[in-house]
Amino acid sequence: MLKFIIPTIMLMPLTWLSKNNFIWVNTTTHSLLISFTSLLLLNQFNDNSLNYSLTFFSDSLSAPLLMLTMWLLPLTLMASQSHLTKEPLTRKKLYITMLITLQTLLIMTFTATELIMFYITFESTLIPTLIIITRWGNQPERLNAGLYFLFYTLMGSLPLLVALTYLQNTLGSLNFLLLQYWAQPLPISWSNTLMWLAYMMAFLVKMPLYGLHLWLPKAHVEAPIAGSMVLAAVLLKLGGYGMLRITSILSPMTEHMAHPFLVLSLWGMIMTSSICLRQTDLKSLIAYSSVSHMALVITAALIQTPWSYMGATALMIAHGLTSSMLFCLANSNYERTHSRTMILARGLQIFLPLMTTWWLLACLANLALPPTINLIGELLVITSTFSWSNLTIILMAMNILITALYSLYMLITTQRGKHSHHINNLTPSFTREHTLMALHIIPLLLLSLNPKIILGFLY
Amino acid sequence: MNPFISIMLLSTLVLSTMIVTISSHWLFAWIGLEMNMMAIIPIMMKKPTPRATEASTKYFLTQATASALLMLAIIINLMYSSQWTIMKLFNPTASILMTMALAIKLGLAPFHFWVPEVTQGIPLTTGLILLTWQKLAPISILYQISPSINLHLMITMSFLSILIGGWGGLNQTQLRKIMAYSSIAHMGWMTTILLYNPSLTMLNLLIYIIMTFTMFTLLAQNSTTTTLLLSQTWNTMPIMTTFTMLTLLSMGGLPPLTGFMPKWMIIQELTKNESLLLPTLMAITALLNLYFYMRLAYSTALTLFPSTNNMKMKWQFYPTKQMTLLPTAIVLSTMLLPLTPMFFILL
Repeated sequence: MLKFIIPTIMLMPLTWLSKNNFIWVNTTTHSLLISFTSLLLLNQFNDNSLNYSLTFFSDSLSAPLLMLTMWLLPLTLMASQSHLTKEPLTRKKLYITMLITLQTLLIMTFTATELIMFYITFESTLIPTLIIITRWGNQPERLNAGLYFLFYTLMGSLPLLVALTYLQNTLGSLNFLLLQYWAQPLPISWSNTLMWLAYMMAFLVKMPLYGLHLWLPKAHVEAPIAGSMVLAAVLLKLGGYGMLRITSILSPMTEHMAHPFLVLSLWGMIMTSSICLRQTDLKSLIAYSSVSHMALVITAALIQTPWSYMGATALMIAHGLTSSMLFCLANSNYERTHSRTMILARGLQIFLPLMTTWWLLACLANLALPPTINLIGELLVITSTFSWSNLTIILMAMNILITALYSLYMLITTQRGKHSHHINNLTPSFTREHTLMALHIIPLLLLSLNPKIILGFLY
Repeated sequence: MNPFISIMLLSTLVLSTMIVTISSHWLFAWIGLEMNMMAIIPIMMKKPTPRATEASTKYFLTQATASALLMLAIIINLMYSSQWTIMKLFNPTASILMTMALAIKLGLAPFHFWVPEVTQGIPLTTGLILLTWQKLAPISILYQISPSINLHLMITMSFLSILIGGWGGLNQTQLRKIMAYSSIAHMGWMTTILLYNPSLTMLNLLIYIIMTFTMFTLLAQNSTTTTLLLSQTWNTMPIMTTFTMLTLLSMGGLPPLTGFMPKWMIIQELTKNESLLLPTLMAITALLNLYFYMRLAYSTALTLFPSTNNMKMKWQFYPTKQMTLLPTAIVLSTMLLPLTPMFFILL
């Protein structure tokens, strides 16, 4: 695993020592090359994991997430080029350094064997993200956003630290590979209820669960584009990854405890989708749509059936790429009009027709059109929740409908219809932006040809 | 201050702490603590402003009371054990009295009221001595009597300290008062683990001293004592803003910085002793501390604080203040987490 971590760390000297004109070129190219090496992880065993060392391993769940993370760094660098043009050189390099630090910590989180190592790097991802949001965000609300983000996540994850230390004292080791074989069934009792909550709250806040989701619209909206991309695409998936890992040691308590959270996520999925229909702020719409998609993942992770785990994994990867692409599209609007209000930049198909193609593909992916992997994820989750309880089909059907509604609403408002008068002099799309969108959607479409890779470890 | 007097006072200060730590006779330790108090009072009065006089008087009164209580506890111990050796105490009354006396000396809640007021009245470097060096002597005595300390009293005082250290610092803009409340909270963490594993108290004390030293030295570079002044460091010394932010985050206990290490170790030790609710509550209460550190980090490094245009155009002179040990201290207070196993060998 050091073959990924050390090159990523070495991107930092690359940033600081490159010539002035070359910082973007160098970092983007090299991070793209590093992301190609992550494809080596696809060579997974069916019934085991790739164990590289005592501290790092990768199995069919963490490999696609790792590939997503590493693919995203060049994309975030490409997306940030334009809004950082006016900054002095040192601050540009600092920004890139923050992204690279975040990337290193994310790689270490997804490949950690020891659960305390996972915890430490999980928490450490907060600091670079906080700095990116608070230092380079654009509105004064970003201060509040950073505080909400930090404190919600920390409140959830400090009990996790206590629970993990307790687990180490009782079982003797927190090595995840051993834990799968050593785990004792967790009997149902009041103290075990608190223990279950301690394990899960960190990930539920991170996902986020509907009642604890207040930090997400704030953080996503106020973050600069790279922050939004990495938040939506990867940091939310940390919660999902953690939940999928930790539920394996928490049975049979989960069937007993999961009911309130299942209700919250099922209801929240509909609530947040409905809110999307009434949003004026484009980034806020995409943020709430993230909450809605992640609610599906929470539902799937809490039901604990093989199909639901496959659906959760596929949905995480699909949502990562789709949501990141939507944020990039929203950012291309923001850079031209300097406003996130949707109706200020409508009817763009006349002016930027090629961008409309990307908008169309992103919105179609968001509403889970066949044969994209979004559909595969959602279909697997819907079928498994139907087997858990027949009534959920109503909620799920409503959710699909409302998701389709707001995705098309977003598409039609921004692209179709009569254009607003003040946007005649929009700058045309840059090749960099087209490359960015293409690099998002091509993996998404290619994965629909071979979704086996992203279906996780219960395939 | 006249350099001869200064040397005499500082050497008495060092000597007194050494006397307390190496002594095996209770009277000798008591004498060391008295010398400590006497030596630091003139240092606190370096600039004889009324505020400094008030701070010194408050310090003297509280510490003298604590010494008297300590002497009472020593005598009661003598009555019940007929010997003056510093070891665990032989009578619960003596133990409770001594714990409370040392809590007054350290500034643990509910005896914490003197810490913010005294720290605020004295210059920054003296505040540094007050919050770091002065803690060594009482903690060394606590370490030695730790087998006989009443658990309930200690846990109550320490949890209360963490709460009050967190809550009290929320409404402060004066940096010295913020550091005082931070000291109260950290003392709370240190004394929690005293009855389970005293080596971790020492570890926490060491890391706390390093971080507080870094923080005070950074503040003293620009002579900043208020948040407003702190927000102007980006103008004169931009790199200090990054260091201040990192040190503040480390003091808040965020991984992967050093400040996470004592908290993690203490939580681990407490869970080994079957108490799970206490470390959870302590960890969550420490988030209050993190909130006001974050506020400082915001005003220093992450935002441009509102200021008049005059202040935005300061001359950037070469720094003339000595930055004693600052680079070392900064590295130690932010990058020591991977070396956690090393500390178990040291202690």
